[in-house]
Amino acid sequence: MNIATKTLITTGLAGAMLAGLLTACSSNQTRATVCSPPKGPNLDEAIAKARFDLETGCERQFDAYFTRLLTIAEGDPKKENKAVFSDFLVWANDEGLLSKRKARETYTRYFGVKYVSLISDYSVCAQTCPRQQDVMRDMSSELHDKEQGLLKVSEDRLEYYRANRLYQEAELVLEATCTACAEDYE
Amino acid sequence: MKTIQMPDRGRPVKNVGPLLGLCLLLVPLAVQAGTPTIKLFPTTVLEEIKHTGNVAAEMETGLQSVIARLDEQQKLYIESKCEGNEGDPGCEQIARQMGKSYLEMLNIMGEKLPEMETAVNSTSASLKKRIRRELGQKKTSWTLQELLVGAQTDAAAKENRPTLRGRSGMRLSDRFHQYYKLVARSGGEVNTSLAVVASDIYLDMQETSNLISRTREEIARATLMEQLNQSFGTITPEMQEVVAGVKSILFGEDQEILPMTAPPASQPKLAYESPLNL
Repeated sequence: MNIATKTLITTGLAGAMLAGLLTACSSNQTRATVCSPPKGPNLDEAIAKARFDLETGCERQFDAYFTRLLTIAEGDPKKENKAVFSDFLVWANDEGLLSKRKARETYTRYFGVKYVSLISDYSVCAQTCPRQQDVMRDMSSELHDKEQGLLKVSEDRLEYYRANRLYQEAELVLEATCTACAEDYE
Repeated sequence: MKTIQMPDRGRPVKNVGPLLGLCLLLVPLAVQAGTPTIKLFPTTVLEEIKHTGNVAAEMETGLQSVIARLDEQQKLYIESKCEGNEGDPGCEQIARQMGKSYLEMLNIMGEKLPEMETAVNSTSASLKKRIRRELGQKKTSWTLQELLVGAQTDAAAKENRPTLRGRSGMRLSDRFHQYYKLVARSGGEVNTSLAVVASDIYLDMQETSNLISRTREEIARATLMEQLNQSFGTITPEMQEVVAGVKSILFGEDQEILPMTAPPASQPKLAYESPLNL
């Protein structure tokens, strides 16, 4: 094989590789444009599309997909929706899109009575009271999410009532406890 | 402020002595029933609440007749068209009588308030210690929440839940008697409701203590002013304000009672339990 032939083959291979790379880039570009959260009123179809997208390259947009699914579910509120979202989060955990902890916290934030805003490892005096106002602000925001999950998506008025009641009780008890803790250090 | 209507609001509690005694007997038993136990209301604290209620009742009894007399005198003053007609001898006489009643009211308060303040501060200090230890130091915010949720579940079907900061419109002494009832009722609901009741009482004690302290500071000055006014036979807007304030503190305000946030009437089907629920 002479030098000219070798050069030709090398150039050809390089061209092929370049073409391959370009195709791959082009393919990725197409993939990225596909990452749009589902539309339409049907929750089952929306979840199927979300699952497909999330397992084929759109996992970074999990939050946007989840938010869209909640909005779609608001169009057909029913108690069964809790199980639908629970299954979806369990699937997301199985697929490695979310940690178990994150899946639990997300579910509880929208569909549980308890407040993930109150998760802590140390005593109320030591950890919660120094940031009492922030905690209450977080709880207020979480109550808003529970309004969406429990009321607008699941039509579970009783559970929402309990969550609301818990908010009021926690506010009162934290106020008293933090007052007592503060005086401890005076 | 979020207010939930208290049961029996504004209705005077009669024959409270036997009731309070019964509560004292019931509470330790009730506390034993729950696990794990939080000790927010030992007998000493209950005794202090009882004592504070009694002191408040004594003060109210002493003031009630004086304030009723003041109301009558004020009504007479207005009906006689004395406002703007202060030079009239008849009006001056009514004004002096009102001033005397006012001084009498200030004297009674001056005598009773120190005892009241001591009782309130003592209850407040005991509760503060208990709340700090049992809720502030032994609990994380998550376990505190679990305590509250636990009581919600236990008490979901019960009608008489403990109430939150719903004390307006009640006599001071009735408020303390109400606290007793709440504590006794909470016994069956284990500790959770007690945490809410203890917090409510403690914050109320703090406000009451501040109020008493400010009132005591004002009494000496108000007494001196009224002694001066006696020589002129006039009534002052300040005097009317003080009387209105005392009535509001001791005998309750005529505030609009906010509707209770009631749970939905429909009973749920078997609730879905997600494996993800914390």
